[in-house]
Amino acid sequence: MKMITDEDLTLLYYGEHEDPALAATVAQSKELSARYDALCAELKLADAYQPPLRGDDYGAEVWQRISPHLGDKSSKAGGRLGNWLASFVQPRFSLAGALSIALVAVLAFVLGRNGGPVPGSDTVTPASVAAVNGTEINSERLLNRSVSAHLEQVNILLTQFVNTSETSAGETGHVTDLLVANRLYRQAAAVQGNQKLAAFLADLEPLLIELAYQAQSGSAATRERMQQEVEDGLLFRVRVMNQQLSKSVTSV
Amino acid sequence: MNFPANLSQSTHVYTSEMSQTEQKIIRKAARGDRAAFRQLVLEHSHSMFRLAWRLSGEETAAEDIVQEAFIKAWRKLGEFRMDASFKSWLHRITVNTAMDYLRKHVRRKQFETAEPEWETTAMAAEEPDTGRQMDISRQTQVAMLDLSEAERTALLLKHYEGHSIEEVARIMEITTGACKQNIFRAVKKMRVALRPLVAT
Repeated sequence: MKMITDEDLTLLYYGEHEDPALAATVAQSKELSARYDALCAELKLADAYQPPLRGDDYGAEVWQRISPHLGDKSSKAGGRLGNWLASFVQPRFSLAGALSIALVAVLAFVLGRNGGPVPGSDTVTPASVAAVNGTEINSERLLNRSVSAHLEQVNILLTQFVNTSETSAGETGHVTDLLVANRLYRQAAAVQGNQKLAAFLADLEPLLIELAYQAQSGSAATRERMQQEVEDGLLFRVRVMNQQLSKSVTSV
Repeated sequence: MNFPANLSQSTHVYTSEMSQTEQKIIRKAARGDRAAFRQLVLEHSHSMFRLAWRLSGEETAAEDIVQEAFIKAWRKLGEFRMDASFKSWLHRITVNTAMDYLRKHVRRKQFETAEPEWETTAMAAEEPDTGRQMDISRQTQVAMLDLSEAERTALLLKHYEGHSIEEVARIMEITTGACKQNIFRAVKKMRVALRPLVAT
């Protein structure tokens, strides 16, 4: 008869022994039963090694802490093609913002050349007026649409900012991107003569500067104060302006 | 004498079968659906905390490990195969994260320094009367932290989480033979450490 080792008894204890007859063999032997009982008693003590209890809302707490650190992975799901398509579908500063800024700059240049009276010519034909007006409408729509997308990003950033207690890894870079974009859009709005929009974006700039600084080295107290300021009004203003711009884009 | 009767420790045992609902949630989360991933976090946080705590022996470390493991899981969800057990997959990430964390923070050293009276199990063996009065949980923890990483991990996954040896081997990325050896060594050491605490 094969000798029954402690390893056999351990496997039996965990229900992993290959020999289904082992339990009966152990039960029939006084010596084996004593060894098995000793093993059970000693391992049973290990059950006392219990972690501190977490509350029912522990899962929600974990989610609260990790959610700001989860990057947007939806673009990864579809592979390269998915990435490429997603870059057009999703509002992203890197592509949409840069492209819009470039177009606004080009249109501002075109408007600057075409908008004023042509030197050496006193006559303005109806066709040239229509062409200029048409360009103005398109450039205004383009600017509004671009700023609307930009404000959507600002809205997301501020919403995350007021709802989290820690600075996320990507926050600094994102704020800096938005700050640069904000300046360009402000200049574009000023060039186009939209002083209301330019003034609003100018109001937004100090907050973005402070956010960029705070994301790098700000204290918890500063963050709390800024969160309060954002909640008290700025977030609301961003949303209202965004709605107005969206309406103007769809109504023109 | 109680035999396990084909894994009668039903509360510990985890079957690798996933419900259709869970598969659906995992698929959605893998596509980037945050709400779906939130559901997975809510469902598995406690189990991951228990494992992380037993691996690290420290509450704060365990919380850090759980968070880090979930962030890694979110990034790697696209790699998860539906024919595997999701809980085992999460446990593998948790174990790897815990090992990285412990190597960085050398938690065990701090623990031993802070609690010199629990430093060796030999003390309990020499003084059975004192050992009996000790907090069994604490002594078990010390014995557990005295195991090698591989022994501790294998024992935790088998004894507390109820994974089969095959699953433990998969989680630890070792052969079933090596897995069994780790469990045997761990059990042997734990028995030596806990024997003095068994009431006679």
